[in-house]
Amino acid sequence: MRLPAFEYHSAVSLSDALEKLAQLGPHARVLAGGTDLVLRMKLRIEKGDQLVDIGKVRELAFIRKEGSTIRIGALTRFSDIAASETLRKHLPILSSAAEQIGSWQIRNRATIGGNLCSASPAADSAPALLALDARVVFVGPEGEANASLESFFTGPRTHILHPAQILKEIVIESSEGRSAGTYLKLMRRKAADLAMAGVAVQARLNPEEQTLAEVTIGLGGVAATPIRAKRAEAMLKGLSHAKALKVLPEAALMAAMGANPSGRRIPEDYRRAIVEAYVKRGAKSVLETLFDGGPAR
Amino acid sequence: MKRIPIELKVNGVKHHLMVKPNWTLLDVMRNDLGLTGAKKGCGSGKCGCCTVLMNGEPVDSCLILAAQANGEEFVTIEGLGTGKPHPLQLAFVEKGAIQCGFCTPGTILTAKALLDTNPHPREAEIKAALAGNFCRCTGYVKIVEAIQSCVQP
Repeated sequence: MRLPAFEYHSAVSLSDALEKLAQLGPHARVLAGGTDLVLRMKLRIEKGDQLVDIGKVRELAFIRKEGSTIRIGALTRFSDIAASETLRKHLPILSSAAEQIGSWQIRNRATIGGNLCSASPAADSAPALLALDARVVFVGPEGEANASLESFFTGPRTHILHPAQILKEIVIESSEGRSAGTYLKLMRRKAADLAMAGVAVQARLNPEEQTLAEVTIGLGGVAATPIRAKRAEAMLKGLSHAKALKVLPEAALMAAMGANPSGRRIPEDYRRAIVEAYVKRGAKSVLETLFDGGPAR
Repeated sequence: MKRIPIELKVNGVKHHLMVKPNWTLLDVMRNDLGLTGAKKGCGSGKCGCCTVLMNGEPVDSCLILAAQANGEEFVTIEGLGTGKPHPLQLAFVEKGAIQCGFCTPGTILTAKALLDTNPHPREAEIKAALAGNFCRCTGYVKIVEAIQSCVQP
């Protein structure tokens, strides 16, 4: 597999990258780690006549916690996300998702911003980030703007950014009080595989009433884009442990009905059944951690 | 395609090269530097036969453009065991962890990176580290044994 011909430009800073993108026009592509784009160009699935490499723009690689706000630079690699003590402590669901991405070799190159901008319906970081209600910050010729991750994806492999814009960082509010989350991923192999389906469940406890103050569910690989299972979330919010367990089978079924898999790689029914099973399994373990005082956050 | 000047440090030696944008790091290692230890397997970042260490970490050199590698430091299998074989190389031979040998350079480099960062890995950690190095001959049992035999007590 050989790469087609293209022009390569290396950016030294974010402003340099933005300038180059503006100059080169709408056919220029941003190159981050390259684990997805280089492969797709080899396979001739994707074209990049002009590549602007932001790999050396170190100002985009960071993990910062300011108060309850956690900011992750778009160029942060999954190996750094998986290894981050800050994330392990405050957003373990993201650490867990990062660990399950690709192989060690891939995690040493693949970036969280690249994963989101490749916008695969099965993007591995998306379910966890959706369940964490993440926002994305991007910059372009018209300055900086932000959006919820939920509104970021517009279809398979498409998102809201213009060709001259660059994803800058992902912003997550780490919730006060006791919370827990889990990410379950179905693969054909035990490791180093794409997600056939990914289910992320995150919940926060109302300690006074011993109820679920917040429940969020992110799904990957089961619709045209990564999605939230909002109706299932609403069914569980505000419930006690016992009531939540009782409603859970129905909520899981609701999440499965909300999924809209294409059936291209795997039959639709099977993928829906996986969503149902994983929402149940994930939520059960999250509830246990939250209410029974297991090791949690 | 306009050629791009790059500088690579490979196995301790600096190289100045003029590369085409669509050459991968693996192409340059094999064709320009004559380092054929890294193999071209799947070409898509699955098999890990092209694994080299970039600043001490394993990466798939088939998915990295040579231009992206500019300014970075690499170790290939040729950089290990100069003079006498590296302990991992000896262990792989001794334990019979090599059959056809195609995956061996990449597997040994991943194992080296693991032991450099985690000197006492559990078996599960060894297996997780090797998830991106496919071996179609050995069934991994002897590979894991060879790596375990290099763990300092």
